[in-house]
Amino acid sequence: MAKLILLLLKCIILCGTVSAVFEDQVGKFDWRQQYVGKVRFCHFDAHMQSSKKVLLATESNVFAALNTRTGEVLWRHVDKTGPEGNIDAFLQNGQDAVLVVGNGRFLRSWESNIGGLNWEVVLDSGSFQSACLIGQQGMVKNVAVLKKTAISLHYLSNGHQKWIENLPDSDTVDYQAVYSGGNSEVYVLGVVPHSHIAIVAFSGDDGEILKQSSVEAPWLSSIPESCQMVDQDLLICVDSTTMSLYTLGLNLQLQMDQIPLQSLELEVDPDFRPSLVSHQPNPAKQPHSEFFLQLGPDHYVLLQFNNGQIVVLRDFKPALLVSFATTGEKTVAAVMSPKNKTASSINLFNAETGRRLLDTTLIFTMDPNGGKPEKLNIQAFLKKDDSVGYRVMVQTKDHTLTFLQQPGRVLWTREEALSDVLTMEMVDLPLTGTQAELEGEFGKKTDGLMSMVFKRLSSQLILLQAWVAHLWKLFYDARKPRSQVKNDISMENLSRDEFNLQKMMVMVTASGKLFGIDSKTGGILWKHYLENIPSNAAFKLMVQRTTAHFPHPPQCTLLIKDKDTGLASLHVFNPIYGKMSHVSPPALPQPILQSLMLPFMDQDYAKVLLLIDDQYKVSAFPSTKYVLQHLQEMASSIFFFLVDSNQGRLSGYRLRTDLSTEQIWEVALPTEIQKIVSVKGKKPNEHVHSQGRVMGDRSVLYKYLNPNLLAVVTESTDLHQERSFVGILLIDGVTGRIIHEAVQRKARGPVHVVHSENWVVYEYWSTKSRRNEFSVIELYEGMELYNSTAFSSLDRPLVPQVLQQSYIFPSSISTMEATLTEKGITSRHLLIGLPSGGILSLPKMFLDPRRPEMASEQSREENLIPYAPELMIRTEWFVNYNQTVSRVRGIYTAPSGLESTCLVVAYGLDIYHTRVYPSKQFDVLKDDYDYMLISSVLLALFFATMISKRLAEVKLLNRAWR
Amino acid sequence: MASPGGQGGVLSTRGGGATRRMKWALELSLGNTRGRGDRQGGQGDVVYPIGYSEKPVPDTSIQETDKNLVEKRCWDVALGPLKQIPMNLFIMYMSGNTISIFPIMMVCMMAWRPIQALMSMSATFKLLESSSQQWLQGLVYLVGNLLGSALAIYKCQSMGLLPTHSSDWLAFIEPPQRMEIMGGGMVL
Repeated sequence: MAKLILLLLKCIILCGTVSAVFEDQVGKFDWRQQYVGKVRFCHFDAHMQSSKKVLLATESNVFAALNTRTGEVLWRHVDKTGPEGNIDAFLQNGQDAVLVVGNGRFLRSWESNIGGLNWEVVLDSGSFQSACLIGQQGMVKNVAVLKKTAISLHYLSNGHQKWIENLPDSDTVDYQAVYSGGNSEVYVLGVVPHSHIAIVAFSGDDGEILKQSSVEAPWLSSIPESCQMVDQDLLICVDSTTMSLYTLGLNLQLQMDQIPLQSLELEVDPDFRPSLVSHQPNPAKQPHSEFFLQLGPDHYVLLQFNNGQIVVLRDFKPALLVSFATTGEKTVAAVMSPKNKTASSINLFNAETGRRLLDTTLIFTMDPNGGKPEKLNIQAFLKKDDSVGYRVMVQTKDHTLTFLQQPGRVLWTREEALSDVLTMEMVDLPLTGTQAELEGEFGKKTDGLMSMVFKRLSSQLILLQAWVAHLWKLFYDARKPRSQVKNDISMENLSRDEFNLQKMMVMVTASGKLFGIDSKTGGILWKHYLENIPSNAAFKLMVQRTTAHFPHPPQCTLLIKDKDTGLASLHVFNPIYGKMSHVSPPALPQPILQSLMLPFMDQDYAKVLLLIDDQYKVSAFPSTKYVLQHLQEMASSIFFFLVDSNQGRLSGYRLRTDLSTEQIWEVALPTEIQKIVSVKGKKPNEHVHSQGRVMGDRSVLYKYLNPNLLAVVTESTDLHQERSFVGILLIDGVTGRIIHEAVQRKARGPVHVVHSENWVVYEYWSTKSRRNEFSVIELYEGMELYNSTAFSSLDRPLVPQVLQQSYIFPSSISTMEATLTEKGITSRHLLIGLPSGGILSLPKMFLDPRRPEMASEQSREENLIPYAPELMIRTEWFVNYNQTVSRVRGIYTAPSGLESTCLVVAYGLDIYHTRVYPSKQFDVLKDDYDYMLISSVLLALFFATMISKRLAEVKLLNRAWR
Repeated sequence: MASPGGQGGVLSTRGGGATRRMKWALELSLGNTRGRGDRQGGQGDVVYPIGYSEKPVPDTSIQETDKNLVEKRCWDVALGPLKQIPMNLFIMYMSGNTISIFPIMMVCMMAWRPIQALMSMSATFKLLESSSQQWLQGLVYLVGNLLGSALAIYKCQSMGLLPTHSSDWLAFIEPPQRMEIMGGGMVL
C-alpha cells in the first residue's frame, strides 16, 4: 500500500505543469557573453607542455581559466564584490593555484584542470601583506602568508597550518615582504620608514627565529616598490634620490652596499622613479641573478649580479614592456619595443647573456581605437629542435587581452572592459544602403529634370543590382547545409530588419572604452577608447539624433564628468559606426552639474542638449541661432531640478529667456537624519496607451499620469535596526509640490526603485521581519479627469488618490527594471535581476495595490488577484533559463517594432540579451505555424470554387435548354 | 393581349412541314383541322365567336364579407411584430447574458428583423392600402417593430454590448499634451 501511495505521489509530482524553452529555441534570439574583468594576476598553466590554459585572477574578484586556443572561459569562480572577495595574491605550483582572498581572510587552493576547490582555510584576522611559496630540497610543500603582526605556514596538500609565529616589534616595524630561496629558511622583511630594514629569518620546519637583524636604510619607504630578490638571498633595491642601487646579502651582511648608477654608466630619466623586475621561476630554487632595471618610461636595462659585481648585459631603449619567462631550464627575457605608431615588436633575449634569439620577432599591431599595452605575459615553450618558442598575451590599458602567436597572428582578443558597463543605449539601425539611396534622392535639392531622371535610373539600377545579389546569395546558401550558413554581421550589411528587432547597443564602460554591439549576435562592431578618463568619472549617454533623419547621420553624445574637478567634456559620435562626429562639441570651462535633453530639434534634426553649470547658467548644444531663438520662445516652459545628495537638497529651477535660471522651489531633507539615495523620473520614451483602469462596474478610474513626477528615495543615516527607515517622496519636478510621502519603518536599503506610468515599485530589506519586501504605490486622479487634453503641473488643484500595498519577496535582488513597448498596450512586467544570476520577469499584475483582501464579484470582473502577502518566484518566469548572468548591475529595456516584444539587455560581469513578450506574442505567428497546410487548403478551396462555379454554369445552361 | 389575332384566331409561328412558307396565318374558317385539337377540345365542330371564352369569368363585384376578411388580414400584418414580442422575451430569457456565439446570433436576429421591417415600411403600407384603417394599422406595425428593436437594445444593454459607460470610450482618450519640459537629476 505504501508503495502504491509513493507511486501515486511520484506521478503527481511528474504531472505538474512544466513550462520551458524548447531546445531549438535556446540561443535563437538570446545570447550571453561571459567576462572576467581586468586582469590582476596571470599565470600560464605550465605543469604540462601541452596545456591550453591560462589562469587569471582579476580585479573584479574573479578567478578563471581561459582556453588559450580560443579565448573562451573554461571555468570561472565569481567571488563576492568589494574587499571581501578581493584577490590579494595568486601563487601557482604545478596543478595547484593558491589564492589569498579578502585581505588575508581566506587561503584557498584550486585544482587548475577542472577548477575544483582543493581546500579552503580561514586565516586569523590581520591585514594581509604578502605571500610566497616555500620550497625545500627542490620540492614546494608550504605556503607562507605574512600579515601585519604574524606569519603562518600552511601545507600545500591540505591547507593545515604548520606553524604561526608573531613578528617581533610589529608595532614599529612595517613588515612588507616574505621570501624563501629554496632552503628551509623563511625571510620576513620589514621596514621602519626612513630608518632601517628589519630582517627576521624563521626556520621553515618549526617557525623558530633563526636570526634577526636590522640594516640602516634611511632612504627606503616601501620594499615591494623598490626592492627585489635576486641570486642567492640577495636583496637589491633602487633609490631615486641617490640614484644608486643597494645590495644586501640577507644572511651575511649587516650593511648595504651602495652602487651608484653612474658607475654603471646609467642615467635615470628626470622625474622618473626607477623600478626593478626580477624572476624566480621555481620557489624551491633561488631567483635568477639577472634582473631588469627600468630607468625611464621606455628605457630598460638588463643587469646581472655576478660575484658581487653588477654587470650591464644589455640596454633596451626604446622598450615599452619587459617580461621574463622560463621553460624547462631556459629563461628568456621578452622585450616589447615600439616599431612605428601602430605596431610594436616583441623579441626574445637570452636572459643569461642578453643575446637576441633568432627568429623570435613578433609584431603586435596596436588597435588605433584601443589603449597602450600595459603588461606582457609570455607563454614560452620548447620547440622540437630545443629552441624556445612563445606566445604572448598582451594586456592593454583598455582592459583588452590579446593573445598572439608568432609572427603576429592574433589568436583571440577579449574585451574585458565589457565586464564593467556603466550605461548603455540602444539605437535603431539605419535602413539598408539601397533604401537610404532612394530616400536620399528625395532629400537632396533638385537640380533639373534630366539629372533627376538619371538619378532615379541609377538608384533603380542599384536596387536591381542589390536584388540580384540577394537572389544569388540565397541560391548559393541554399545548397550549403544549414549549419554552415553564417549570417555574419559586418558594417556593410548592417540594416534594420522588418520589425526593428535588431538594434545597435552602445555601451559605455568604466575604463572609458565605448562599444557598439550588434544586438542580434552580440558581435562587437566598433570600439573606441577614450584616453585620459579619470577613474571616478561620471558618464551620461544621450541619443541626440536617431537614424530616422537620413541623410543626417545619427548622433550620440556622451557627457564625461570628472568628479574631482567637476569639469566635464562632451564626446559626440555616430552610434552606428563609432566614428567621432564632425560636429565639434563646445568647450566647457565651467563645472557641469547636470544636462537636460529637450524634445525639440534644431534644423538638422538633432535634439537640443542643455548643460547646467555650477553658476546655474545654461548652455545649449548645438547652439545655432535657430536654436537660441527657439529656446527664448520656449524658455518659460522649461524647468529643471537638481538633487544634491551631500547637502540633502532638492531644488527646482526655471529657465529665463537670457539662458540664466531662477530657483523656484527647494526641498531640504536634513542630512543628519536621512540621505537621498536615488531620484527616479519617468522614461522620456515611455508611452501609456490607456489613460485609466476599467473598474468592475465599468466605470473608469483615471490614472494620475504626471510626466514631471519624481520618486525620491531616502535612507536613514541611523542604521540601528529599530530606528532605521526608508522614505519615499513623490515630488512634482516643476512646482516642487510633494504629492505623496511614505515612510517604511524598520527598513533598510539598498532600495531598488522602478517608476513608470502611474506607479512606483520599490524593494527594501525589512529589519523587523528580516525579509525582503516589495511595496507598490499607485496614483489615480479619480473617476473624473481634471483636464483631458493637456497636462500642466502648474494647474493641478486636485490631489491624486494614492494606493499602496506591500508584499514579501523570497529573495534579495540586484536590480530592477520595467519592460517597455512601442505603444504601451502590452501589459507590463518587472524584470528583476537576482543575485543568483537569474532574471525574473514578474507580472506587474501581482504588484497591484487594488488587489482585494476578499475576492468580490467586481474584483473578479476586473481580473484582480486576491491579496496574498507572498510573491512567489515561479521558475518559468526566469527569462534566462540556465544562462546565469553573474552580478547583474543593470537591466536595459528598449521597445522593438513589434508591440508585443521588448528587448532586454542585462549587464554586469556578463552581458545577456533576450526578448520578452509580457502579453505573449499576440502579433506574431508562431514558429511552427503550418503555412503549408493553410496555403494548400486555401488553394484547394479556390480551385474547388472555380470548378464548382463552372459546373454550376453548365448545369444552368443545360436546364435552360431543356 | 400580345397576339394580334385575338382569342379566337390561331397565330401560328411553328415551323410545320406543310406551312413552312407561311410566316403566320390567321385562321377564320373552320375547315382546317389543325387547330381543332387546341381550340375546341373535341366538343364538336362548333365555332365560337371571337372573344368567347369557355371559362366562366369570376364575379368581381366586392362583397361585404370580403371586406372584413381584408381588414382582418391587414390587422394580422400590423400586429405581427407585437405578437413576436413574447416569443422574443422567452428567447432572451433562455439565452442568458453571457457573451458567446449563440446569444450574440439571437440578439443580432432580434435586432435585425425589426430594422429590416422598418426599412421595408413602404412595401407594408402598400399591402395595407386596401384597408380602411390603414393609418392605425401602420402605426401599430411601427410601434410593434420599435418595441422589438427596443427589446433587442435592452438585451444588448443587459449583455453589456452598448457603449454607455465611460470605460467604453477610454481607448479613444488621447494622452494629454505635456505643457512643461522638465529634466535634471542628481548632481553628476
